[in-house]
Amino acid sequence: MSQRQSYAVGTGLFIVLGFAALGYLATQTTSVANTSRGPSYTVEAHFANIGQLKERAPVKVAGVRIGQVQSIVLDPGKETADVKLSIDQRYNQIPDDSVATIFTSGLLGDQYVGVQYGHSKNPVAAGGTLALTRPAQQLEEMLGKFFGAGGVADNLSGSYLVKARFSNIGALSVGAPVKMAGVAIGSVQSIQADPVKLDAEVTLAIDKKYSQIPDDSAAAVFTSGLIGTQYVAIQPGGSPDMLKNGDEMVLTQSAMQIEDLIGKFLVSGSSTDAKKDADNGKAGAGDKH
Amino acid sequence: MTDSVSAKPEDSTLVRVRGLTTVLNGKKVFDALDMDIPRGKITAIMGPSGTGKTTLLKHITGQMRGDAGEIVVDGQNVSSLSREKLFELRERIGYLFQNSALLTDFDVFENVAFPLRQHTKLPEVLIRNIVLTKLQAVGLRGAAALLPAELSGGMARRVALARAIVFDPMLILYDEPFVGLDPIALNQVLKLIRTLNQTLGITSVLVAHELEAIKRVADHIYLIANGKVVAQGDPKTIANDGSPWTRQFFGGEADGPVPFQYPAGDYAASLGFPRGNP
Amino acid sequence: MRRDNIVLRSLAQIGDCALFLLRILAAIPRSLRHVRETVRQLWFVGAMSLIIIMVCGLFVGMVLGLQLYDVLSIFGGTSATGTVVAIAIYRELGPVVTALLFAGRAGTSITAEIGLMRATDQIAAMEMMAVDPIAYVAVPRFLAGVIAMPLLCCVFCALGIFGGHLVGVSWLGIDNGTFWSNMTASVELVKDVINGVLWKSVVFGTVVSLIAVFQGYTTPPTSEGVAYATTRTVVASSIAILALDFVLTAFLM
Repeated sequence: MSQRQSYAVGTGLFIVLGFAALGYLATQTTSVANTSRGPSYTVEAHFANIGQLKERAPVKVAGVRIGQVQSIVLDPGKETADVKLSIDQRYNQIPDDSVATIFTSGLLGDQYVGVQYGHSKNPVAAGGTLALTRPAQQLEEMLGKFFGAGGVADNLSGSYLVKARFSNIGALSVGAPVKMAGVAIGSVQSIQADPVKLDAEVTLAIDKKYSQIPDDSAAAVFTSGLIGTQYVAIQPGGSPDMLKNGDEMVLTQSAMQIEDLIGKFLVSGSSTDAKKDADNGKAGAGDKH
Repeated sequence: MTDSVSAKPEDSTLVRVRGLTTVLNGKKVFDALDMDIPRGKITAIMGPSGTGKTTLLKHITGQMRGDAGEIVVDGQNVSSLSREKLFELRERIGYLFQNSALLTDFDVFENVAFPLRQHTKLPEVLIRNIVLTKLQAVGLRGAAALLPAELSGGMARRVALARAIVFDPMLILYDEPFVGLDPIALNQVLKLIRTLNQTLGITSVLVAHELEAIKRVADHIYLIANGKVVAQGDPKTIANDGSPWTRQFFGGEADGPVPFQYPAGDYAASLGFPRGNP
Repeated sequence: MRRDNIVLRSLAQIGDCALFLLRILAAIPRSLRHVRETVRQLWFVGAMSLIIIMVCGLFVGMVLGLQLYDVLSIFGGTSATGTVVAIAIYRELGPVVTALLFAGRAGTSITAEIGLMRATDQIAAMEMMAVDPIAYVAVPRFLAGVIAMPLLCCVFCALGIFGGHLVGVSWLGIDNGTFWSNMTASVELVKDVINGVLWKSVVFGTVVSLIAVFQGYTTPPTSEGVAYATTRTVVASSIAILALDFVLTAFLM
């Protein structure tokens, strides 16, 4: 009988161990571990744009987690998101003029709510509202600012239009930056296919500041880095005449397709052999006739 | 368990086989077989190898079903019983397998206790008493803690016998109980079979080849061949029966009604010689 | 019935296997009285597989930590090592490797044991003792496999995380807090642990135990038959695990 009991005990231990492992996985290695336990209070904040913020995203002060996002609902009748923040009870001294901002951890990380303390003497009460908020920065806007393409609207009055024709624009899109010497000087305003010439007609809006571009300058579609976005690069020419509003750039270089690039790369070493092979093949085929 | 036996005292036949016909893989194993096994007696079923003696035992216990005919065990038609009824019937039948078929996971004690644990909720003390009594009866009480792998063939068979009688069955079927036993073990098993039959009145059916052993223990012998009973009677009469079957079987002649050659095509032809050319 | 075509034979096996599953399911109520036997099998099938599962889990986690650190350092993303180790183990490696190990360790022994029980007439002896062998032999082993697999998988995953932590944090010097906080930020309870670990391993446990019990139960009672059946258990289980993994992943995503 002791034999039977030892099986039962061993099996019991095994089951307990298995469930302990499950409990460990579920509570210590998943987002459940971030769920705050213990008493907390709720504060509201209204954001114009929450970006990719999700429920249970962390709320941080000075990078330290103090709570989490409890719920996100659209404010009825308004165009703002009502975000409820559940904050640990021990952090109950948050000034009521603190600013709630939606940040992204790193370039590709998840978004979280960062709270920057204000100077008010009054802490925000449970159920209160953080009136000062900053919405999520959209990656596109940030990149736009970065590349200067976001300035299309700003510079609309102060820009002139130039056309360029490309046989292939690759993945160039409207709003993409126009750069000279790596500096953004304008943006792509429109892209249209020409039904007659069967190429792409791209209209570039260039800042008036840069009105001294020779009219024999070349426009090329480049890619920033290996997997980056595409932009139009202008390589200045030597003509004494400058581009004016409505001019067309004659010299263009189309987008390099990555397939072409790789193809060139691979074939360049053995192109002669390939030609010979092709010739042989032709000859062989001729023999058979 | 013996109550049901006394319920129908007028029926002296425990197992009645009528017109049993079975075809297995295109071969007719039983051809309208008739057989009566008397209550409280030791009946031996003999016959050449491959005549389906073990198959017959499987029919009696409902492990296999015939294509035609009926088998009545203690008033119940085996082939038409539901699974539940069949299991109820089997609880009253002990079956001794040729290779003992002890459960290798359990020691001797647990092997004998197995049917009790499965079918009853007896207290541990009672189970222990019953099991030790049965083990004492087969002379292996001292081996209760051994595992089946540690037993000799004769001991394993005696343990299996103890297991088969743990419910005091009305019927025990012995499938080749003497095979592979040395003369001492053979005599021990023989003695057990006789004792069980005489002291407990258990009806016994033996399938065996050992003529000498059978003569010493059996009350009635059936000789089957080609799916039919070819001879029957008590040991003395059957030995003196003049039929060619008994002569070959009990005389041990190599050729006779049971051919030495397995059925085959023309010998010369299969060797590649032209037919009829010496 | 002639089954000389391999496709027909495989189809017939799958069909027989499905019918056998029905018999097992039908016998589960009857086998409730054999709870003790189920517990005993859980010991043999589950607890006895613990060592191999733990050792393999540890090494899988360690090698993942090493490889991912190497690859992620190209992008300067070594802090994501913990996340990727956890997700790779939970979603794929944990259930699949556990199931493959289980098929090799427990599946074969189930098949061989039942095959030998049949070869030595133990199954027939149970029939004769009015004990239903499906309920007494097949169901406890089947249930033990179904129960043991998720538990083993959890242990495997936990050891895998530990192994990844060992290499990543203790050896290669990723910050401990970063390792855990990145993991807890990206790993989700339902998607990764419940769907990845639990669901998959329950399905794999069911399939592997079914194949093992079926092969053992239907094997010809000869030593050759048992040998073939054992091989078939491993082959059929492995194919079934990997094919089902794809289907389950597609469904649970």
